[in-house]
Amino acid sequence: MLSPAEIAWLIPLLPLLGALASGLGLIGFNQGMNRLKKPVAIILLTCVGASAVLSFAVLFEQISNPHSVQHLFVWASAGDFTLPMGYVVDPLGSVMLALVTTIALLVMIYSHGYMAHDKGYVRFFTYLALFSSSMLGLIISPNLLEIYVFWELVGMCSYLLVGFWYDRDGAAHAAQKAFVVNRVGDFGLLLGILGLFWATGTFDFNGIALGLSDAISSGNVPEWAALVLCFLVFLGPMAKSAQFPLHVWLPDAMEGPTPISALIHAATMVAAGVFLVARLEPLYSQFPLINLLIAIFGTITCFLGASIALTQMDLKKGLAYSTVSQLGYMMLAMGCGAPIAGMFHLVTHAFFKAMLFLGSGSVIHAMEEVVGHEPVLAQDMRLMGGLRKKMPITSLTFLVGCVAISGIPPLAGFWSKDEILGEAFNSFPILWVVGFMTAGMTAFYMFRLYFLTFEGEFRGDNKELQMSLLASAGQEKDDEDFHGSGTIHESSWSMTTPLIVLAVPSVFIGFLGTPWNSSFAKLLNLEEASEMASKFSWAGFLPLACASVLISCAGISLAYFAYYSRKLDLTSLVVKKVPSINSFFSNKWYLDEINEKLFVRGSRKLAREVLEVDAKVVDGVVNLTGLLTLGSGEGLKYFETGRAQFYALIIFGGVIALVALFGVLGT
Amino acid sequence: MFDLVPASFWAIIPGQVPEPIPSEFPWLSLSILFPIGGSLLVPFFPDEGDGKQVRWYALAIALVTFLITVGAYLKGYDPSQSGLQLSERIEWLPDLGLTWSVGADGLSMPLILLTSFITALAVLAAWPVSFKPKLFFFLILAMDGGQIAVFAVQDMLLFFLAWELELLPVYLLLAIWGGKKRQYAATKFIIYTAGSSLFILLAGLAMGFFGGGPPNFEFTHLANQNFGTGFQLLCYGGLLIAFGVKLPIVPLHTWLPDAHGEATAPVHMLLAGILLKMGGYALLRFNAQLLPAAHAQFAPLLIVLGVVNIIYAALTSFAQRNLKRKIAYSSISHMGFVLIGIGSFSSLGTSGAMLQMISHGLIGASLFFLVGATYDRTHTLQLNEMGGVGQKMRIMFALWTVCSLASLALPGMSGFVSELMVFAGLVTDEVYTLPFRIVIAGLAAIGVILTPIYLLSMLREIFFGKENIDLLAKRELVDAEPREIYIIGSLLVPIIGIGLYPRIMTETYTASIDGLVARDKVAIERIVNISESDSSNGKLSIPKSSVPKLNIYNSTS
Repeated sequence: MLSPAEIAWLIPLLPLLGALASGLGLIGFNQGMNRLKKPVAIILLTCVGASAVLSFAVLFEQISNPHSVQHLFVWASAGDFTLPMGYVVDPLGSVMLALVTTIALLVMIYSHGYMAHDKGYVRFFTYLALFSSSMLGLIISPNLLEIYVFWELVGMCSYLLVGFWYDRDGAAHAAQKAFVVNRVGDFGLLLGILGLFWATGTFDFNGIALGLSDAISSGNVPEWAALVLCFLVFLGPMAKSAQFPLHVWLPDAMEGPTPISALIHAATMVAAGVFLVARLEPLYSQFPLINLLIAIFGTITCFLGASIALTQMDLKKGLAYSTVSQLGYMMLAMGCGAPIAGMFHLVTHAFFKAMLFLGSGSVIHAMEEVVGHEPVLAQDMRLMGGLRKKMPITSLTFLVGCVAISGIPPLAGFWSKDEILGEAFNSFPILWVVGFMTAGMTAFYMFRLYFLTFEGEFRGDNKELQMSLLASAGQEKDDEDFHGSGTIHESSWSMTTPLIVLAVPSVFIGFLGTPWNSSFAKLLNLEEASEMASKFSWAGFLPLACASVLISCAGISLAYFAYYSRKLDLTSLVVKKVPSINSFFSNKWYLDEINEKLFVRGSRKLAREVLEVDAKVVDGVVNLTGLLTLGSGEGLKYFETGRAQFYALIIFGGVIALVALFGVLGT
Repeated sequence: MFDLVPASFWAIIPGQVPEPIPSEFPWLSLSILFPIGGSLLVPFFPDEGDGKQVRWYALAIALVTFLITVGAYLKGYDPSQSGLQLSERIEWLPDLGLTWSVGADGLSMPLILLTSFITALAVLAAWPVSFKPKLFFFLILAMDGGQIAVFAVQDMLLFFLAWELELLPVYLLLAIWGGKKRQYAATKFIIYTAGSSLFILLAGLAMGFFGGGPPNFEFTHLANQNFGTGFQLLCYGGLLIAFGVKLPIVPLHTWLPDAHGEATAPVHMLLAGILLKMGGYALLRFNAQLLPAAHAQFAPLLIVLGVVNIIYAALTSFAQRNLKRKIAYSSISHMGFVLIGIGSFSSLGTSGAMLQMISHGLIGASLFFLVGATYDRTHTLQLNEMGGVGQKMRIMFALWTVCSLASLALPGMSGFVSELMVFAGLVTDEVYTLPFRIVIAGLAAIGVILTPIYLLSMLREIFFGKENIDLLAKRELVDAEPREIYIIGSLLVPIIGIGLYPRIMTETYTASIDGLVARDKVAIERIVNISESDSSNGKLSIPKSSVPKLNIYNSTS
């Protein structure tokens, strides 16, 4: 029998075939296809499900015997160059495969409920399958070039899915912004890949690492060039994993349907950057400076995300900035030279953040029954409150997610975040201080979200508040959209089941990565795992762990007093006293404004100026030269009357004259 | 006489173009003469006046032509040969040195296939033409033959004839079926291209008469001539202007937005799909293959112009509010990669340039077809007046999205592979110095950011957003019909096919490109050596040899 690793190429292929079939169906028989909701959903679920089964088979094979399987073929060649493509299965990849297929499958089941009444149900499932395929392809890519291919493809899926509701202006802009900002990162990634190819002659991860150190030691490549190339490559992960300052697209991307926010913009695609840095660990570990830069960018991102999340009133935006912050933690781990810790946080975060997003989707779905299909209203926490009694499953799983992300033991987030903070403490103590503070902020803003949404009194019927919210968003009340007759109720089974399933790993998966006996580390790197275990001491672990638990508890208590028991009035305590800091955070560090003024308007202005030059100067000058060489403007008059014969005559005459001329000169 | 020296013997000597391999069956003559003959019969074809019958006839002729070229490729063409194949030679006017000489190598064959393929689809795209349909299809079919001739002929004079003959149908197609400013656009087109093509004639005659003796204009003869460097530079400069107008190279491009802005969809497909490729093909065929010494001098200029093309046209496209002109400028931007590839002196880069021509031929044709189809529905090309039609035209939206993504070089489609090959060819190319390569690659990669900005903005302005009441009131605003889906589908098959497995295309021309690059490398080595010895002597023997002195070339290679 074939071993699962040998047929791992089927894992991305199956969802692709499904997506192709239904995509072609949509183009060929649009209306008929849109009616086939159930069959399409079942077929695509089967495809992704089969991939999931295969992925777990691969994972178990790797657990029993960690090894690397690679198959390549020549994809393109010219001259002496060959560009190979193929697939590779190793422990790191197998973990990601299992993670992505699991969450993709659960999100698809969830979407069946969430998108049930949407006109684009079939299109949505097609995109989902397409995304799963691209993401799985990215994971099994054996070299940088192939990663780049799938990197762009997941970016495309993200573009399509963020712009899924394309009649909304916000979605249209967000989709474009997501793609363009990612292209800025890809600009660096592409140049970096090309540069590394120049320096080492290969796209292979290990080949690049070895080749580059050889090239530096032999003097073929100057050290600064190697540093620049490594940093250029890092620009790709910087955009994809929403690191400062290229994170600006991720919060806007929340315009997409919520299942997408859970799958793409929380659990899988945004983690691709972290994954790529983990893949490039042999390369980056040679350059402490680059590692330091990665750690610094990670820390800034981590703090920035948390600080903005403190003030967000939009439930999804709050979660989005939380994702930005958590991705910062992962990058910090990568920069500390601890890819295992970073990858572990990626895994745990994927589970609980997907659950949180799906939970927020469940809330939004319920809210839409009351306030209508208007994201400005349905996602605003000022209109929520008291949902716990009406939506018990959603609120319970959301609470589990909040506890997990806040780092309260024994839930998953504690183990992974603590490992990162421990690594940071050993490598860069200053960065640890920031990460540590951020842990407290995380606990505070997560419980702020929870209390505002699920506790207290329901505020959704407040029509005045609705009007003022709409007015501040610059929109008018649309009576057609509004049918506020419904009541809040728990979501259907297909939405609650994934929540319950995701709650299980959110609670327990941390035990796979306990610092004294980490099965996760053993799978990824056996030597490092035993080193970690031998270095472990309770005396080193307990103080740090207690400190982070304490600061988390402090954050939670603050949120409790401010938003649940209402004994603390943060508005008068903080906002009134230091309004500048508050507005700095709530305006997202003014990065969007800077971006708009500097880049968006700047590029528009430049483009308009170039067009002016083109139309007036270039066209004019070249026309004039052309006219002068033609001899006189008289000829043009004939052309403009449309006498083509005249032109033919001129050409003919010209040919004769030239032949004669050359005849004379030649002899 | 060819039998005395086997082609393989020549192939191993870099710098020599191998002798042509004669064809057993006149494939190429047939593929040129069949559509022209077919077009001549159009006036006699019975038709009731609105083109319902004659369009079937035109489609049949175009399809048979396509099949003939496919037959030529499958039956007579051997991709492993670097030299000319399918060669036919008939003395035509021996006194003038004119020979009916056709043949195909890796540079010609893919473009011949592209021509007959795009023309067949253009005929299908011209289905609704009801104004003077007989004349329209006559011109399209005549153009088919003429354009195949441009790529297939192997004689300088014949090339000039074909180049000029193909202008007339385009001129008429623009002037009769164009938009409001069609006269202006058609005139500008003809003045630019015809005016500049005088340089082809001049250079051709000069090369043909070179060295005294009876004139001989055949490419294989010219390729093995020993032109002096000064002579080459003169010819090269002239040809560069002629082909630069066609490709087009900024600042010789301004005819193109006007012509494209006024053309109807089928003509548009031909303009973008094939006509621009004539410029790139001719640059490879003449400038790079026949004039290697001058190419070695001019190549850095080509690369710089390529970068200018990419950035300048992308910015202009971004600011354009007219849909057709926007896409027209995007074509100019994409042609920049062809220039960089041609100037790169590496097999990878030059292959990339070739692939970019084919890829843009397919993608450009599909985008321009969609522009036409959209115009039929909205009756406006101004982006300000569009918006929100995605709900009503879902399939159209999907097709637009796929083609735009192809155009912005999304992996999995042909544009990505060709741009990647050009980039990789440029950076790994040891001919140029490292700083030069870094600057060029960095600047060209800015195009990677600019392209999605203007293409996605365009998509957003057409389809996204709140429904546009004015537009939706239009009765014509219906979704794509099967014929349109079929045309785009046919174009997407090769686009995606090449994107997934580029070797199906690159294998057809790799051997020829390798030969060509080997030839140019010999020239560049000579230049570098000369300039080294020059600098030691302290005097310059070649005009304009300031180029290597700028340290653009690596002297170590």
